Amino acid sequence: MVSPFYLLGVGLGLGFLLGLTGKNSKKYTSAITFVAFAFFVFFSISWLIPFALKQVTETLIYTAGFLPPFSISLSVGFYEAVFSLMINSLGLLSILFLWKKINSESNALGGIILVLFMTLNMLVFARDIFNIFVWLEIAAISTSGIILLDKNKFSYSAGFKYLLASSIISSLYLIGVVLVYFTNGTLFLNDLITNASGVTMSVTAVFLMLIAIVLELKPFPANGWALDVYEGANPAIGAIMSGGVATASLFLLYKFSPLLDNKFSYLFVIAGLLTFVGSNLFGIKQDKANRLLGYSSIGQIGLLVAIIGFRPFLGDKFEFIAITILVSHFLAKAGLFWLSDVIKQDNIKNWSVLRRKPLLLVLFGIFVFSLIGLPPFPSFFGKWELIMMLSGGYKFAVVTIILVGSFIEAIYLFRWLGYAIKLDFSELPEYKFELNKIIPVVIFGALVLGAGYYAGNLICLKTLNYIPLAFIVLLYFIDSLPAYIKNTLSILALGYYSYLILPNLYETDMLRFIFAVIFLIGGIITLVAGYAYKGKRQGFYPVALLMYVGLALIIQAQTTLEFFFGWELMTAGSYFLIIRGKKSIEHGLSYILFSIGGAYAILAAFGLIYAETSDILLSSLSVATQNITLIFSLLAIGFMTKTASLGLHIWLPGAHAEAESDVSPMVSAILLKAGVFGLFILMIAMGHNPEAEQIGLILGWIGALTALVGNLAAAFQEDAKRLLAYSSISQLGYILFGLAMMTHLGWMSAMVYSINHFLYKSILFLTIGAVVLKVGTHDMYKMGGLIKNMPLAFIAVLIGIIALSGVPPLSGFAGKWLFYNAIIDKHWYFQGAIVFFSGIVAFLYLFKLIYSVFLGQLKDNLRKVKDISVWFAIPIYILIIGIMIISAKPELYLKPLGTMISGFYPNGELSWTGGLANAPYGYWNGSGVMITIGIMFSLLFLWLWSLSRKAQKVKQFNIVYAAEAPQRPETTHISYNIYAGYYKSIGWIVAPIFEKFWSTMTEWIHSVSDFGRRIYNGNGQYYMTHILIYMLAFYFILMH
Amino acid sequence: MEFDFKKLGFTLLGLLIVLNWGLLMSAIMRKINARVAKRYGIPWYQPWVDLVKNYAIRSQITHGIMFYLGPVFRFSGGVGLFLFMPMLITAGGQWTNYSFQGDLVLILYFQFFGMLGMALGAGEGGHPYSAIGISRGLSQFTAIEVPMTLAVISLAIQYQTLSIADIVKAQQGGIMNWTMWTNPVATIAAMLSLLGALAHAPFNLVRAPNEIPIGPPTEYHSTFLGVLQTNAAVLHVVEAALFMNLFFGGASNWFEFIVKTFLIYFWSVFVGTVFPRYRIEHSVSWFLKVPLVLGIIAIIIFM
Repeated sequence: MVSPFYLLGVGLGLGFLLGLTGKNSKKYTSAITFVAFAFFVFFSISWLIPFALKQVTETLIYTAGFLPPFSISLSVGFYEAVFSLMINSLGLLSILFLWKKINSESNALGGIILVLFMTLNMLVFARDIFNIFVWLEIAAISTSGIILLDKNKFSYSAGFKYLLASSIISSLYLIGVVLVYFTNGTLFLNDLITNASGVTMSVTAVFLMLIAIVLELKPFPANGWALDVYEGANPAIGAIMSGGVATASLFLLYKFSPLLDNKFSYLFVIAGLLTFVGSNLFGIKQDKANRLLGYSSIGQIGLLVAIIGFRPFLGDKFEFIAITILVSHFLAKAGLFWLSDVIKQDNIKNWSVLRRKPLLLVLFGIFVFSLIGLPPFPSFFGKWELIMMLSGGYKFAVVTIILVGSFIEAIYLFRWLGYAIKLDFSELPEYKFELNKIIPVVIFGALVLGAGYYAGNLICLKTLNYIPLAFIVLLYFIDSLPAYIKNTLSILALGYYSYLILPNLYETDMLRFIFAVIFLIGGIITLVAGYAYKGKRQGFYPVALLMYVGLALIIQAQTTLEFFFGWELMTAGSYFLIIRGKKSIEHGLSYILFSIGGAYAILAAFGLIYAETSDILLSSLSVATQNITLIFSLLAIGFMTKTASLGLHIWLPGAHAEAESDVSPMVSAILLKAGVFGLFILMIAMGHNPEAEQIGLILGWIGALTALVGNLAAAFQEDAKRLLAYSSISQLGYILFGLAMMTHLGWMSAMVYSINHFLYKSILFLTIGAVVLKVGTHDMYKMGGLIKNMPLAFIAVLIGIIALSGVPPLSGFAGKWLFYNAIIDKHWYFQGAIVFFSGIVAFLYLFKLIYSVFLGQLKDNLRKVKDISVWFAIPIYILIIGIMIISAKPELYLKPLGTMISGFYPNGELSWTGGLANAPYGYWNGSGVMITIGIMFSLLFLWLWSLSRKAQKVKQFNIVYAAEAPQRPETTHISYNIYAGYYKSIGWIVAPIFEKFWSTMTEWIHSVSDFGRRIYNGNGQYYMTHILIYMLAFYFILMH
Repeated sequence: MEFDFKKLGFTLLGLLIVLNWGLLMSAIMRKINARVAKRYGIPWYQPWVDLVKNYAIRSQITHGIMFYLGPVFRFSGGVGLFLFMPMLITAGGQWTNYSFQGDLVLILYFQFFGMLGMALGAGEGGHPYSAIGISRGLSQFTAIEVPMTLAVISLAIQYQTLSIADIVKAQQGGIMNWTMWTNPVATIAAMLSLLGALAHAPFNLVRAPNEIPIGPPTEYHSTFLGVLQTNAAVLHVVEAALFMNLFFGGASNWFEFIVKTFLIYFWSVFVGTVFPRYRIEHSVSWFLKVPLVLGIIAIIIFM
């Protein structure tokens, strides 16, 4: 354990010495500073290890043998050591990062940085409030010194504003210190906390000190100066400001927090939450990277300030929450600022240059994810605990504010990520890939991953399964191998995972077994199509597997935390899958925003449950008795964002339509079932409450209307994949409708639809996707007559649409038949009628799909098109075999489903006599119908064949055409807007009201952001006024 | 399970009766239409002549396999509906065909089998008029099904069953037990939807039979046309039989069957000779107004 005074000595001594050295020694400055920082880090570690091993307790160190208040007293404890380590490692890596800059600038630069970091350490350790003032001043001066590193007018102006602001802030602080000394006669913080003098401190005095520290943390909206600093200074300095200075100031606040009574806690909470929401909101319109990072940084610190204010409510979880969120922010923000300096692009749209070095893009993704709080990063666990604890303390309004703020933050961060992943960068300038700049970023990226693992272990007691995640990391490292190798590995991995969990689930839990089969076996089948892709397909497999891992974790989750963990992983993976599509940038954003919004609704509901049961077991969902309408509504909304129910569906058509050919079935046939699974969990939890009936009724109507709108909209599409996407919306509407009935037959139909939708939507999306790969367009009217070139695809689509339409004898009929019985049983006649109507509307788009693509007139440019790739045909025909089996022998799956659902709803089962199913109202023999129709069809076919076996195939244009032969297929192939009359009649039903609603919402948020941020007009005097007004406003709030 | 040859025999016999009755009925209807239009009209045996002629023609062309299968789908659809529908409800149960394999829902959805197959076959024909006709047909059909579905739901509530045979049995014991008296609103709604289903004027834009040839069969000729005509004869009788079973007490002998199906079919012909033709958007809107409201009322009454 090295005494902190060595830090002081090395920092100050070396700092001044460096300033004195001559020009010749300039080139050694970096090395010298680096060694000094290495010592700093060693210092921190030398304290941290004994604390971590619990060998020592907090140590107070006094100067020159004096006791407080005459000595400069320093205190080192576990948290001091942690913060010191964070600050010093940032310093060390900053030197590495700035290596060349330091060597080329004046010798003073290295010294100033050293002094700054030494000061930050002292701010962490110091227990004397006047001493803290001194360190604050030194920090301010040295910071403004390094802000001037870049020689341009922006940094000069920023440095000046920074000085102005800091001097006002330190003056406020100093006045506070003077008043405290006047009343209490001591400057020693520990005495003040224990109130050794017995005199109650003056509120004004404490207020002044605290508000100064809060102001130091750049509270919204008195933070214009800070934003200008982030924007104007070199990004590497931004990293120091955001990671180092803010971290030290935050610790200062933490140190003072024992002085807080409720009033002050309240102040912190208000200031913090206001900053968190406000700063993120104003950030939305920002497109300059460094300034945006400033907004985000300020927002995160705001959240931490609020967390300190909430300390009493968070109990023993306080440290865990604060540190996980801080560490995520610290590592991510420093990393992002550094990245900004590496690529030298200020406009966020130009961050696509990251893709020149895929490693940088991955790091960027890691940092963005850890800022937002997605798994497996530490802030995920921190936010989880925060929401649980706040909910447990019945602070629901605060939970809402935090979730809203996080959501707003996600808006701009994901937009930025989307730009980086998608936008073109070919025109943008090259940048240097300097190792000294990359290493710090990589280290922080690795640290944030490691911290996530550590935090996860702390919170979950090692129940989280990290092996699949490790496999994904492995996939990333072998990403340069050819696609077929990675494809094989992925299939093997999913196969092995299935082998591990499926047999057991089959024995214990049929519901989970079915969904696990859809997720995992479905995953394997759709992955087979991946063999059709040549080359490396970089970045595909890690994210695809990420989605499947998330899905598997949802199935296996025992606690709400594990469920949420899996849910977010699945969301993240599917986001990356979706955004891979060529035109997917906006669809990816809208998908992730809806998903995050939904996830937060789920999180809030889990919090409410925790508030009542103090338990995070999934089974505790059904124990809750309070607020259950709210809980269930939140969960329903959360899950319905994934099933794309009406109102929450606008992300789906674009996301599914623009995704790659084999991704569309993954995200449509498989991923959407995650929402269904969630809804099952929800419904099981709701049980038979009267409230559940109410919610069920509403969900039923939503489901029915979703089905109608989805199908109608599908009928009016010209893009084949959009058509299928709308069809998915409506199919999920059926499933929601069936689920919402909460009866035996309702659930039967929902399960039957889930299974069938998986089968036929995989077939349709795979086939159409494969066709699209061959013909190069999604627009159906540009195709036509492809049956001759693509018989395999045609047969697949034919079977797919017959199954989807519910026409006997294929499997879709089971769902329709069950629906009829279920709605009469449930007395949901009108909703039911809407569902049936939409079922018939489905014929419109199904015909359009198969006709426009495969029938009609073949276009000249498609005459030489070949049939779909065999790698698509294999999974398609495997699925077709599946459809055929369950069509011919529906009892094979209906009976086990019935047994399973009887566990939840014993009344109203189907009774079976051989292959004949008897429902309360009707009866149906699937095998019999299949045989009857099969025999009849064959006989009639043979008869026609015997009559006209000499029929000759004629040429394309040999048709009865008003005595003329048409020459152009384009004018003869009727497809575009084929249902014009229908649209005229009932097109109003699909008027894009929800699209308008959401776009208006978006516009409002953007307008508010754009209008609000005008208070930052760049004028330093205004900014100083803001600070004073802010201080006064809080003073008055506090006094009243 | 032992194969029931007796059942098969009665079913095939029934099919023969229905086919011939269908042909005769279509001749009578054409005759009625002609007389209303002050024409003489065809002889009563014309449909048989047409059939023989069409089946006899040997110069055939095809546009591909789906084109070829179109009529097979269509005819299977018609025969299938026949098979799954009880014709006569008698003590012996010989004339119930294969209705024990599925209920009313099966019938409602099996209607699409032929329609879809035919649409696809005609689609491969490549004629633009076929596609136009199909798009109109499908559009109109969605609207027709709305009042029909509501009426069926109303019936299911009323009789607490979806079995056609059971619905017929519930109507026995006098004319006042028929659904047309016990559930008049549903009957009206369904009868209005029947107008569309049988596609006479004013809902015959799908084929527009009076002027240019349009609609799915545009490209079909000779044997194909023969198959389609055979199907039409069966299908019309079977559809009328469905309504007979659901709303008019069913039939216990062939005479009753013939009278009832004739009257039901005549209803659409009667309306068709009186009213002019709707455009497609008008007919869709029409079904979604009065018939829809009637269907809703029919359900509300029994809720």
